[in-house]
Amino acid sequence: MDVRLMVGTSKGGFWVTGKGRREWAVEGPFFKGWKVTAGLRLAGGGWMAAVASDIYGPAIFLSEDGEEWEQVADGPAYPDGDDRRLRQIWTLRENRGTVYAGVQDAGLFTSGDGGRSWEPVPGLNDHETRGGWMPGAGGLCCHAVLFDHTNPDRVWCGISAVGVFRTDDGGATWIPRNRGVYWAHEDEEFKEIGHCVHAMAQDPDDPDRIFRQDHSGMYRSGDGAESWAKNERGLPSGFGFPIVMDDSTRYLFAVPLEADQYRLPAGGAIQVFRSTDRGDSWHSASAGLPSEHSYGGVLRGAMAVDNLIPGGVYMGTTSGTLHVSRDLGENWKNLPVMLPRILHVSAWVE
Amino acid sequence: MRGMKPSVTVQLPSLLEPVTGGVRKLAASGESLREVLDDLVAREPRLKPHLFNEAGEFRRHVLCFHNGTNTRWLEGLDVPVADGDTILFMQAVSGG
Repeated sequence: MDVRLMVGTSKGGFWVTGKGRREWAVEGPFFKGWKVTAGLRLAGGGWMAAVASDIYGPAIFLSEDGEEWEQVADGPAYPDGDDRRLRQIWTLRENRGTVYAGVQDAGLFTSGDGGRSWEPVPGLNDHETRGGWMPGAGGLCCHAVLFDHTNPDRVWCGISAVGVFRTDDGGATWIPRNRGVYWAHEDEEFKEIGHCVHAMAQDPDDPDRIFRQDHSGMYRSGDGAESWAKNERGLPSGFGFPIVMDDSTRYLFAVPLEADQYRLPAGGAIQVFRSTDRGDSWHSASAGLPSEHSYGGVLRGAMAVDNLIPGGVYMGTTSGTLHVSRDLGENWKNLPVMLPRILHVSAWVE
Repeated sequence: MRGMKPSVTVQLPSLLEPVTGGVRKLAASGESLREVLDDLVAREPRLKPHLFNEAGEFRRHVLCFHNGTNTRWLEGLDVPVADGDTILFMQAVSGG
């Protein structure tokens, strides 16, 4: 099987194709000079990419072949005159024919026509706690969206420095679900927010089993985010950004960093930690990764799995290095590239 | 020609090529700068969110020059334009 990675960086996107996941070729940049912040292969065919510029703002592009791109004219947008600004699109996810875009300033938009037009999700975007939403270091962004394959009306989303929200009525109402998670900052009025979720992963066997890499540690919920408890046994640090789960083995992967004030790999050695028991324990799975003088972190959107057997794991660093494993993290290969700061990695089986 | 609004040339920076499909020079018309810019985003609606924020103002680092004059120095955009005028968009270069 061949795997195609969409690698989004601060200065453009790159296609990285792995023939048999052994021989890797790099093409790009596309969207030269733009941040490529999220990517998606649509179930109906074609590609979607989110781009952003510090000067010209964000946009969504569509492509049939991954080469010729056209900007969506009616992309996600806050209303004219609104005091919210659409600064960046952090995640693109598709479920049951609907594409979800999580954005900064924090909000959620959906498209029912493959990304041609978008509608806001007012139940979340105009949430009663919105006055207490404070941006984290990465901005006030909605970066994670999870679905319940047994219940189309149930969706979760994660907003940095605010927390996890869940809807059980198809998006009409959203309730913060952060019980058991330490505050990043306590809001004077809204006590159910102020939790800094960094990323989430979900167990395909049980959509209510959710794993949460939070600013305050690594957590797990077994009840659909009603409650959370830490599961950090074996981790050198509870702090980090990405968490992904391989759908075939249910192995989890994370990249712990040294405490939040540094946000660096401990000791100059980037390490992937893997859990083979759904988060009960964690062990380093880092053979082949740079073991010294390596200070690039891995951002929340820059780690992906391909769900093949055995599972491939892929990650890009803030230093622009790209690392691939075709055996669930047992062995890593460092691709001979030095890209701009890597913001997004997604893996697609060809 | 009587009754026709002045036509001006709008030049865009290369970074916006993906937005316009590679086109960097466009025509737009209007009696004033404001009308020309309205016409520009009516012709190329994909440009609007990249040039203007939700308040309808130029994005912070977007510079717009009318015949070489930075429009930020003007009292407003209700400035008459003439046939053959040029509008040049640039990004503010700051920092290092």
